[in-house]
Amino acid sequence: MRGPVPLLAPAYLWLTLAVFLPLSAMGFFSLVSDIPVGGRAWTLTLDNYAEFLARPFYAQLLWRSLELGAVVTGLCLLIGAPCAWVLARTIRGRWREALFILVILPFWSNGLVRVFSWAIALRGGGVLDWAVNAILPWDVRVNLMFSWWAVVIGLVHSYLPYVILTGYVAMQAIDQRLIEAARSLGASRRMILWRIVLPLSLPGLAAGAVLVFVPVVGSFMEPRILGGRAGTFFGTVIEDQFTAVFNWPLGAALSFILLAVVLAVLAAAAPILRRSQ
Amino acid sequence: MTAVLNAIGRGWLILTLAFLYLPILVMAAMSFNASPFYRLPVEFSTRWYAALMGNAALKQAAWNSVWIALVTTAIATALGTAAAIGLHRHRFPGRALLQAALYPPIAIPWLITGTAMLVFFYFLGIPRGSPAVVVGHVALAIPYVVIVVGARLKGFDPALEEAARSLGARPWQVAAWVTLPYLAPAVIAAALFAFAVSFDQFVISYFLAAPGDTTLPVEIYAAIRKGFTPEVNAVSTIVIGLSMALMLLVARLARFGEVR
Amino acid sequence: MAGVAVRGIRKRFAGAEALAGISLDFPDGGFFGLLGPSGSGKTTLLRIIAGFEHPDSGRVEIGGEDVARMPVERRRIGMVFQSYALFPNMTVAENVAFGLRAAGVPRAERATRAAEALALVRLQGLGERRPHQLSGGQRQRVALARAIVTRPRVLLLDEPLSALDKALREEMQVELKRIQREVGVTTIFVTHDQEEALTLSDRIGILRDGLLVEEGPPETLYAAPRTRFAAEFLGAANILTGEAVPEGLRLPDGAILRAPAPARMVAIRPEAVTLAPDGSAPEGWTALTATVTARIFAGARTILHLERHGTALRASLPGGAPPALVPGAEARLAIPPDRVVPLTG
Repeated sequence: MRGPVPLLAPAYLWLTLAVFLPLSAMGFFSLVSDIPVGGRAWTLTLDNYAEFLARPFYAQLLWRSLELGAVVTGLCLLIGAPCAWVLARTIRGRWREALFILVILPFWSNGLVRVFSWAIALRGGGVLDWAVNAILPWDVRVNLMFSWWAVVIGLVHSYLPYVILTGYVAMQAIDQRLIEAARSLGASRRMILWRIVLPLSLPGLAAGAVLVFVPVVGSFMEPRILGGRAGTFFGTVIEDQFTAVFNWPLGAALSFILLAVVLAVLAAAAPILRRSQ
Repeated sequence: MTAVLNAIGRGWLILTLAFLYLPILVMAAMSFNASPFYRLPVEFSTRWYAALMGNAALKQAAWNSVWIALVTTAIATALGTAAAIGLHRHRFPGRALLQAALYPPIAIPWLITGTAMLVFFYFLGIPRGSPAVVVGHVALAIPYVVIVVGARLKGFDPALEEAARSLGARPWQVAAWVTLPYLAPAVIAAALFAFAVSFDQFVISYFLAAPGDTTLPVEIYAAIRKGFTPEVNAVSTIVIGLSMALMLLVARLARFGEVR
Repeated sequence: MAGVAVRGIRKRFAGAEALAGISLDFPDGGFFGLLGPSGSGKTTLLRIIAGFEHPDSGRVEIGGEDVARMPVERRRIGMVFQSYALFPNMTVAENVAFGLRAAGVPRAERATRAAEALALVRLQGLGERRPHQLSGGQRQRVALARAIVTRPRVLLLDEPLSALDKALREEMQVELKRIQREVGVTTIFVTHDQEEALTLSDRIGILRDGLLVEEGPPETLYAAPRTRFAAEFLGAANILTGEAVPEGLRLPDGAILRAPAPARMVAIRPEAVTLAPDGSAPEGWTALTATVTARIFAGARTILHLERHGTALRASLPGGAPPALVPGAEARLAIPPDRVVPLTG
């Protein structure tokens, strides 16, 4: 039998050229004064990283992005974990399959358009405003658009299905006989939840949390559309370097810092992620 | 007690589904609203869909999106299926590393991957434009194809191929009559997946497409940033309808959520 | 149809010796059972005959022809796999006709021959079903029909009945034997189940650690094994050791166990151990006393577990045992010398 090389080489060469080499190259570009193209003068420098340290503005934004990631992840867990449980343990048969697909369907549909749909729902004089005023007797102005909360809502909407998906897989795998055994030993509902269900579904939920946190920290499109002036985060600053300011070496340095944060999170979560597979 | 808890749980699930679908439904409803100022209640009209027909930029972007997705699908499905078979059939040192290498393109934020591609391609002298977009999209789609096809291969009994050979089938007959028919649903699902990944991709396209000649999501983003008109609603409704239909098809083929 | 022969087959996997030099003849038209514990190399030998594995050294002959360089698909074999390996994307009839299709047999003839093969395994009329719609026993029959419809020179069965429950397994044993006799194909099958090997085979080869321990007709192997391993693996056996004397064997306590020939180790089947009527053994038999340690009722037989000077013994008695023989009681045993089998190792 022939070896694996002819089967594997095309795909992995492609991945190398389009993902791994660019990521490594970015490390290099973050260390130069200008992109070495077309005979432009450039030198090796740490200035780009010095810039990050010199202006607290960047660190503050990175912190703001991490905070956003934490809030969105927390909300996703809070909303998603019970959904995963209901889907995995209390609904059976065709209904379960249908509801499960209904939950993950938006996740695999167009993300940009989904964020945009919130812009329409949240805007002043929009549907939310109208609905609230239809219920409440007094006049309130509901305009969440272009606020921090709008960004949070849009991101929760974008990434919630991750938590439900991974939580569902973990919870579905819990052997019903374990719960029955615990009940036969006289465990209370609360004890079963804390001592059996939660520990066993933790790897799945943790995997979901990481899968939410990482892209949220690197988000820029959602804050741009829903956040307006309140939507400045680390991601949007990186985007600016590439599309507005054209300071690519600084952009590369900021991207690389973000990559380091992301890899640290992924590395910290690696044992849990591996367990959840 | 259990019944009450179950009822609360189901209520929670229904609320969550409402949260997931209501804004999309609102957007769809608004796309049929005659009022350009989103006045309520909705007054039915298809004027925004008619207006789309006259929007040359959007039409060009839609066409770009479709052909880029088709090219991406063809390349990523071929390369990814081959890689999945290679990973499944052979045991060799570094195999675990190659499997792990599938996750960075999925797990690293697209902002980082996209900007890295932009800088690297610029450095290589590859200009922004559709070819660069295809290179990026294929790289994003390959891991999904490998994972979907690989999952199907895991359930493949190697004795099936041996049985075919013991019955006198030559290698090409084994492939054509046994292996490929078994893999077909997964390969089709993976291809649809790859199409969806490319068709819905915004971030990578945003950094790699040439300004003025972009894909549909980038064009929609530009329109939103300019101040959203009901026309954007209409095209967005079409896009999300299409991508949901596509994923429903994938779900049917790949049997997600099937009780195993 | 053709006989199969292997000569000096050796095979190593990742440093471990799976087959350490095996030579065997599988007679034309015979039903040969390869019996051994897991890891004995029996499946490897079968896969080498099929052509899925290649021996490091040695020859494989099918019908007198060396098949070393012949790929699986040209060896004209039929094989039934442990998992049956029915093609899930094809109907039962398409599965059965697969080998004919590969051989380029015209469609009409394929259909006729597939139907005949299905009739032979008593599945007529199920041709349009899918494999997943069949029971385990039915799948087994389809796999068999598929393997024989091409009229192979040799039929290879890899633990063919292990996935079935006991009742079905016994029924399929009878069926398998009938079909093999009707088709007359040389059959080699692998099993770890000694009862299955005894029931089905004309000849049995016992394998252990990549070597052939013993080979012969089942009756001979059972009644007169030459090795301790064969005696214990093929049915239950009492193994007794001592000093070789002209009458047979002297046990450590000095008692003489009569045997056909002097021996230092003998095997006695539990059913050869009888109770001495009135406490005295027939002329020429060995009389022994032993203490009952357990008494097990097994329907048609009663099994007594006994102990004599630290040596455990088992007696399998037809019908019931006397009520007095409860644990702790003394039993007087009588053993006919012709049922005492001298062992060589």
